[in-house]
Amino acid sequence: MKSAVTTVVSAADAAGRFPSISDFESVKGSFDRAKARLEAAEKLASCLDKFTNLAVDAVYQKGSYDQANKDKCVRDIHHYLRLINYCLVTGGTGPLDEWGISGMREIIRIQLLPTAAYIEAFIFIRDEIEINDVMSQQAETEFKGLLDYLINALA
Amino acid sequence: MLDAFSRTVVSADAKGAAIGSEDLADLRKYVADANKRIDATLAITQNVSCIAADAVAGMVCENTGLTQPGGHCYPTRRMAACLRDGEIILRYVSYALLAGDSSVLEDRCLNGLKETYLALGVPTSNAIRAVEIMKIATVAIMTETNTGRKMFKGINSGSGAQCQDIAAEAASYFDLVIEALS
Repeated sequence: MKSAVTTVVSAADAAGRFPSISDFESVKGSFDRAKARLEAAEKLASCLDKFTNLAVDAVYQKGSYDQANKDKCVRDIHHYLRLINYCLVTGGTGPLDEWGISGMREIIRIQLLPTAAYIEAFIFIRDEIEINDVMSQQAETEFKGLLDYLINALA
Repeated sequence: MLDAFSRTVVSADAKGAAIGSEDLADLRKYVADANKRIDATLAITQNVSCIAADAVAGMVCENTGLTQPGGHCYPTRRMAACLRDGEIILRYVSYALLAGDSSVLEDRCLNGLKETYLALGVPTSNAIRAVEIMKIATVAIMTETNTGRKMFKGINSGSGAQCQDIAAEAASYFDLVIEALS
Protein backbone atom coordinates (compact mmCIF):
# COMPACT_ATOMS: atom_id res chain seq x y z
CA MET A 1 0.00 0.00 0.00
CA LYS A 2 1.21 3.46 -0.89
CA SER A 3 2.81 5.48 1.87
CA ALA A 4 5.86 7.74 2.05
CA VAL A 5 8.15 4.85 2.91
CA THR A 6 6.83 2.26 0.47
CA THR A 7 6.97 4.77 -2.40
CA VAL A 8 10.65 5.39 -1.70
CA VAL A 9 11.43 1.68 -1.30
CA SER A 10 9.59 0.75 -4.52
CA ALA A 11 11.53 3.35 -6.48
CA ALA A 12 14.86 2.19 -5.03
CA ASP A 13 14.00 -1.44 -5.72
CA ALA A 14 13.00 -0.70 -9.32
CA ALA A 15 16.43 0.84 -9.84
CA GLY A 16 18.14 -1.95 -7.90
CA ARG A 17 19.90 0.46 -5.59
CA PHE A 18 20.21 0.91 -1.87
CA PRO A 19 18.17 3.68 -0.23
CA SER A 20 20.06 6.94 -0.77
CA ILE A 21 20.43 10.08 1.30
CA SER A 22 17.62 11.78 -0.61
CA ASP A 23 15.39 8.76 0.08
CA PHE A 24 16.11 9.11 3.78
CA GLU A 25 15.30 12.78 3.63
CA SER A 26 11.93 12.21 2.03
CA VAL A 27 11.12 9.53 4.61
CA LYS A 28 12.18 11.87 7.37
CA GLY A 29 10.06 14.67 5.92
CA SER A 30 6.98 12.50 6.17
CA PHE A 31 7.84 11.62 9.78
CA ASP A 32 8.03 15.29 10.68
CA ARG A 33 4.36 15.59 9.77
CA ALA A 34 3.49 12.28 11.39
CA LYS A 35 2.80 13.72 14.84
CA ALA A 36 -0.11 15.84 13.62
CA ARG A 37 -1.40 13.00 11.46
CA LEU A 38 -1.40 10.48 14.28
CA GLU A 39 -3.08 12.93 16.60
CA ALA A 40 -5.80 13.55 14.02
CA ALA A 41 -6.25 9.79 13.56
CA GLU A 42 -6.54 9.22 17.29
CA LYS A 43 -9.07 11.99 17.86
CA LEU A 44 -11.06 11.05 14.79
CA ALA A 45 -11.26 7.44 15.99
CA SER A 46 -12.80 8.61 19.26
CA CYS A 47 -15.30 10.92 17.52
CA LEU A 48 -16.18 8.68 14.60
CA ASP A 49 -19.74 7.93 15.73
CA LYS A 50 -20.38 11.46 16.88
CA PHE A 51 -19.27 13.06 13.60
CA THR A 52 -21.24 10.53 11.56
CA ASN A 53 -24.48 11.06 13.47
CA LEU A 54 -24.20 14.84 13.55
CA ALA A 55 -23.58 15.01 9.80
CA VAL A 56 -26.24 12.53 8.73
CA ASP A 57 -28.84 14.05 11.05
CA ALA A 58 -28.14 17.49 9.68
CA VAL A 59 -28.42 16.33 6.07
CA TYR A 60 -31.57 14.24 6.53
CA GLN A 61 -33.32 16.83 8.71
CA LYS A 62 -33.80 18.99 5.63
CA GLY A 63 -36.13 16.38 4.20
CA SER A 64 -34.80 16.56 0.68
CA TYR A 65 -33.68 12.93 0.75
CA ASP A 66 -35.63 9.70 1.22
CA GLN A 67 -35.52 8.85 4.93
CA ALA A 68 -35.36 5.13 4.08
CA ASN A 69 -31.80 5.61 2.96
CA LYS A 70 -30.64 7.19 6.19
CA ASP A 71 -29.30 4.02 7.79
CA LYS A 72 -27.28 3.14 4.72
CA CYS A 73 -25.95 6.65 4.64
CA VAL A 74 -24.86 6.38 8.29
CA ARG A 75 -23.12 3.10 7.52
CA ASP A 76 -21.27 4.53 4.52
CA ILE A 77 -20.24 7.81 6.13
CA HIS A 78 -18.91 5.81 9.06
CA HIS A 79 -17.01 3.61 6.61
CA TYR A 80 -15.47 6.58 4.81
CA LEU A 81 -14.44 8.26 8.04
CA ARG A 82 -12.74 5.02 9.04
CA LEU A 83 -10.84 5.04 5.74
CA ILE A 84 -9.83 8.65 6.41
CA ASN A 85 -8.57 7.46 9.79
CA TYR A 86 -6.44 4.89 7.92
CA CYS A 87 -5.18 7.53 5.49
CA LEU A 88 -4.13 9.71 8.41
CA VAL A 89 -2.14 6.77 9.75
CA THR A 90 -0.41 5.85 6.49
CA GLY A 91 0.22 9.44 5.48
CA GLY A 92 -1.07 8.86 1.95
CA THR A 93 -4.40 8.44 0.21
CA GLY A 94 -3.82 4.71 -0.35
CA PRO A 95 -6.63 3.29 1.82
CA LEU A 96 -9.24 5.71 0.40
CA ASP A 97 -8.09 5.08 -3.17
CA GLU A 98 -7.94 1.32 -2.88
CA TRP A 99 -10.89 0.59 -0.63
CA GLY A 100 -13.17 3.62 -0.92
CA ILE A 101 -12.90 5.37 -4.25
CA SER A 102 -12.25 2.77 -6.91
CA GLY A 103 -15.59 1.19 -7.76
CA MET A 104 -17.42 3.60 -5.46
CA ARG A 105 -19.58 5.31 -8.06
CA GLU A 106 -20.83 1.98 -9.35
CA ILE A 107 -21.71 0.73 -5.87
CA ILE A 108 -23.54 3.90 -4.88
CA ARG A 109 -25.46 4.01 -8.13
CA ILE A 110 -26.53 0.38 -8.01
CA GLN A 111 -27.97 0.89 -4.52
CA LEU A 112 -29.84 3.98 -5.78
CA LEU A 113 -28.31 6.11 -3.04
CA PRO A 114 -27.95 9.86 -3.49
CA THR A 115 -24.27 10.79 -3.85
CA ALA A 116 -25.24 14.40 -3.15
CA ALA A 117 -26.27 13.46 0.40
CA TYR A 118 -22.81 12.03 1.03
CA ILE A 119 -21.14 15.13 -0.29
CA GLU A 120 -23.34 17.33 1.87
CA ALA A 121 -22.54 15.24 4.93
CA PHE A 122 -18.79 15.52 4.37
CA ILE A 123 -19.05 19.24 3.69
CA PHE A 124 -21.02 19.53 6.94
CA ILE A 125 -18.23 17.76 8.83
CA ARG A 126 -15.64 19.97 7.18
CA ASP A 127 -17.38 23.32 7.65
CA GLU A 128 -19.94 23.09 10.43
CA ILE A 129 -18.53 20.82 13.12
CA GLU A 130 -16.15 22.48 15.57
CA ILE A 131 -13.25 20.12 14.89
CA ASN A 132 -10.99 22.52 16.73
CA ASP A 133 -12.58 21.49 20.02
CA VAL A 134 -11.20 17.99 19.75
CA MET A 135 -7.92 18.34 17.89
CA SER A 136 -5.11 20.81 17.32
CA GLN A 137 -4.87 23.17 14.37
CA GLN A 138 -2.28 21.08 12.52
CA ALA A 139 -4.22 17.86 13.04
CA GLU A 140 -7.34 19.59 11.78
CA THR A 141 -5.51 20.68 8.62
CA GLU A 142 -4.48 17.09 7.90
CA PHE A 143 -8.03 15.85 8.48
CA LYS A 144 -9.66 18.53 6.34
CA GLY A 145 -7.19 17.89 3.53
CA LEU A 146 -8.40 14.32 3.30
CA LEU A 147 -12.05 15.38 3.56
CA ASP A 148 -11.48 17.70 0.60
CA TYR A 149 -9.84 14.89 -1.32
CA LEU A 150 -12.84 12.63 -0.72
CA ILE A 151 -15.38 15.34 -1.56
CA ASN A 152 -13.61 15.99 -4.86
CA ALA A 153 -13.55 12.29 -5.64
CA LEU A 154 -17.27 11.96 -4.94
CA ALA A 155 -18.34 15.05 -6.82
CA MET B 1 4.37 -3.94 0.01
CA LEU B 2 3.62 -2.68 3.49
CA ASP B 3 5.36 -0.53 6.06
CA ALA B 4 4.77 -0.20 9.80
CA PHE B 5 1.87 2.21 9.16
CA SER B 6 0.08 0.29 6.44
CA ARG B 7 0.55 -2.98 8.36
CA THR B 8 -1.49 -1.44 11.19
CA VAL B 9 -4.10 -0.27 8.69
CA VAL B 10 -4.45 -3.69 7.05
CA SER B 11 -4.92 -5.45 10.37
CA ALA B 12 -7.40 -2.79 11.59
CA ASP B 13 -9.38 -3.13 8.36
CA ALA B 14 -9.61 -6.88 8.85
CA LYS B 15 -11.42 -6.12 12.10
CA GLY B 16 -13.41 -3.27 10.56
CA ALA B 17 -12.29 -0.97 13.35
CA ALA B 18 -10.79 2.50 13.31
CA ILE B 19 -7.24 2.88 14.61
CA GLY B 20 -7.35 4.26 18.13
CA SER B 21 -4.90 5.18 20.86
CA GLU B 22 -3.69 1.66 21.67
CA ASP B 23 -2.56 0.81 18.16
CA LEU B 24 -1.01 4.23 17.71
CA ALA B 25 1.45 3.75 20.57
CA ASP B 26 3.70 1.46 18.49
CA LEU B 27 3.59 3.82 15.54
CA ARG B 28 4.49 6.79 17.73
CA LYS B 29 7.54 4.83 18.84
CA TYR B 30 8.41 4.14 15.20
CA VAL B 31 8.18 7.86 14.43
CA ALA B 32 10.17 8.79 17.53
CA ASP B 33 12.90 6.32 16.56
CA ALA B 34 13.01 7.47 12.93
CA ASN B 35 16.46 9.02 13.24
CA LYS B 36 17.96 5.88 14.74
CA ARG B 37 16.29 3.81 12.07
CA ILE B 38 17.77 5.94 9.32
CA ASP B 39 21.22 5.73 10.91
CA ALA B 40 20.97 1.98 11.30
CA THR B 41 19.97 1.66 7.64
CA LEU B 42 22.93 3.83 6.73
CA ALA B 43 25.18 1.48 8.72
CA ILE B 44 24.18 -1.21 6.22
CA THR B 45 24.27 0.84 3.04
CA GLN B 46 27.67 2.36 3.79
CA ASN B 47 29.27 -1.02 4.43
CA VAL B 48 27.53 -3.31 1.96
CA SER B 49 30.55 -4.59 0.06
CA CYS B 50 32.48 -5.07 3.25
CA ILE B 51 29.72 -7.05 4.98
CA ALA B 52 29.01 -9.22 1.93
CA ALA B 53 32.68 -9.86 1.13
CA ASP B 54 33.52 -10.74 4.72
CA ALA B 55 30.59 -13.12 4.96
CA VAL B 56 31.48 -14.94 1.75
CA ALA B 57 35.16 -15.03 2.70
CA GLY B 58 34.24 -16.42 6.12
CA MET B 59 32.05 -19.06 4.52
CA VAL B 60 34.90 -20.11 2.22
CA CYS B 61 37.48 -20.15 5.04
CA GLU B 62 35.33 -22.58 6.98
CA ASN B 63 34.93 -24.71 3.88
CA THR B 64 38.08 -24.39 1.79
CA GLY B 65 36.84 -27.01 -0.64
CA LEU B 66 34.40 -24.44 -2.02
CA THR B 67 37.03 -22.59 -4.07
CA GLN B 68 38.86 -25.74 -5.21
CA PRO B 69 38.05 -27.17 -8.64
CA GLY B 70 34.72 -28.94 -8.28
CA GLY B 71 33.69 -26.70 -5.36
CA HIS B 72 30.59 -24.58 -5.46
CA CYS B 73 32.49 -21.27 -5.58
CA TYR B 74 34.73 -22.43 -8.45
CA PRO B 75 35.34 -20.84 -10.95
CA THR B 76 35.33 -17.16 -10.01
CA ARG B 77 32.11 -16.57 -11.92
CA ARG B 78 30.26 -18.57 -9.27
CA MET B 79 32.08 -16.81 -6.46
CA ALA B 80 31.01 -13.48 -8.00
CA ALA B 81 27.38 -14.69 -8.10
CA CYS B 82 27.68 -15.47 -4.41
CA LEU B 83 28.93 -11.96 -3.57
CA ARG B 84 26.17 -10.47 -5.67
CA ASP B 85 23.50 -12.45 -3.84
CA GLY B 86 24.92 -11.35 -0.50
CA GLU B 87 24.50 -7.74 -1.56
CA ILE B 88 20.97 -8.36 -2.83
CA ILE B 89 19.94 -9.86 0.51
CA LEU B 90 21.47 -6.89 2.32
CA ARG B 91 19.57 -4.54 0.04
CA TYR B 92 16.22 -6.11 0.89
CA VAL B 93 17.08 -6.19 4.57
CA SER B 94 17.84 -2.46 4.37
CA TYR B 95 14.44 -1.85 2.73
CA ALA B 96 12.67 -3.88 5.41
CA LEU B 97 14.51 -2.04 8.15
CA LEU B 98 13.62 1.35 6.72
CA ALA B 99 9.96 0.35 6.29
CA GLY B 100 9.80 -1.31 9.71
CA ASP B 101 8.07 -4.30 8.15
CA SER B 102 9.31 -7.53 6.61
CA SER B 103 6.81 -7.72 3.74
CA VAL B 104 9.17 -6.26 1.11
CA LEU B 105 11.88 -8.76 2.05
CA GLU B 106 9.49 -11.69 2.02
CA ASP B 107 7.58 -10.81 -1.16
CA ARG B 108 10.44 -9.66 -3.33
CA CYS B 109 13.46 -11.59 -2.10
CA LEU B 110 12.67 -14.69 -0.04
CA ASN B 111 9.61 -15.92 -1.93
CA GLY B 112 10.98 -18.80 -4.03
CA LEU B 113 14.62 -18.18 -3.09
CA LYS B 114 15.17 -21.64 -1.64
CA GLU B 115 13.61 -23.29 -4.70
CA THR B 116 15.82 -21.20 -6.97
CA TYR B 117 18.94 -22.20 -5.05
CA LEU B 118 17.96 -25.86 -5.11
CA ALA B 119 17.35 -25.71 -8.86
CA LEU B 120 20.71 -24.00 -9.43
CA GLY B 121 22.52 -26.45 -7.18
CA VAL B 122 23.55 -23.82 -4.61
CA PRO B 123 24.25 -25.51 -1.25
CA THR B 124 21.78 -23.82 1.12
CA SER B 125 23.77 -24.77 4.22
CA ASN B 126 26.66 -22.62 3.01
CA ALA B 127 24.32 -19.81 1.98
CA ILE B 128 22.80 -19.89 5.49
CA ARG B 129 26.28 -19.64 7.03
CA ALA B 130 27.04 -16.57 4.90
CA VAL B 131 23.76 -14.94 6.01
CA GLU B 132 24.60 -15.71 9.64
CA ILE B 133 27.93 -13.93 9.28
CA MET B 134 26.22 -10.96 7.60
CA LYS B 135 23.79 -10.80 10.51
CA ILE B 136 26.56 -10.78 13.10
CA ALA B 137 28.58 -8.20 11.17
CA THR B 138 25.57 -5.93 10.61
CA VAL B 139 24.55 -5.98 14.27
CA ALA B 140 28.15 -5.31 15.35
CA ILE B 141 28.44 -2.33 13.01
CA MET B 142 25.05 -0.91 14.02
CA THR B 143 25.77 -1.14 17.72
CA GLU B 144 29.42 -0.08 17.27
CA THR B 145 30.62 -3.25 18.95
CA ASN B 146 32.82 -4.27 16.00
CA THR B 147 36.56 -4.43 16.50
CA GLY B 148 38.81 -2.39 14.23
CA ARG B 149 37.91 0.84 12.55
CA LYS B 150 34.71 2.80 13.23
CA MET B 151 32.20 1.84 10.58
CA PHE B 152 29.07 3.51 11.95
CA LYS B 153 28.67 7.06 10.72
CA GLY B 154 25.30 8.13 12.04
CA ILE B 155 24.07 11.44 10.71
CA ASN B 156 21.29 11.85 13.25
CA SER B 157 21.51 9.88 16.46
CA GLY B 158 25.29 10.07 16.71
CA SER B 159 25.99 6.79 18.44
CA GLY B 160 25.57 3.14 17.57
CA ALA B 161 24.90 2.27 21.19
CA GLN B 162 21.50 3.97 20.79
CA CYS B 163 20.61 1.59 17.98
CA GLN B 164 20.31 -1.60 20.07
CA ASP B 165 16.59 -2.07 19.48
CA ILE B 166 16.83 -1.37 15.77
CA ALA B 167 19.81 -3.73 15.49
CA ALA B 168 17.71 -6.45 17.11
CA GLU B 169 15.01 -5.76 14.55
CA ALA B 170 17.58 -6.02 11.73
CA ALA B 171 18.76 -9.34 13.19
CA SER B 172 15.17 -10.60 13.02
CA TYR B 173 15.10 -9.87 9.28
CA PHE B 174 18.30 -11.89 8.77
CA ASP B 175 16.65 -14.68 10.79
CA LEU B 176 13.77 -14.61 8.29
CA VAL B 177 16.29 -15.14 5.48
CA ILE B 178 17.86 -18.05 7.34
CA GLU B 179 14.43 -19.51 8.02
CA ALA B 180 13.46 -19.22 4.36
CA LEU B 181 16.59 -21.10 3.27
CA SER B 182 16.35 -23.82 5.92
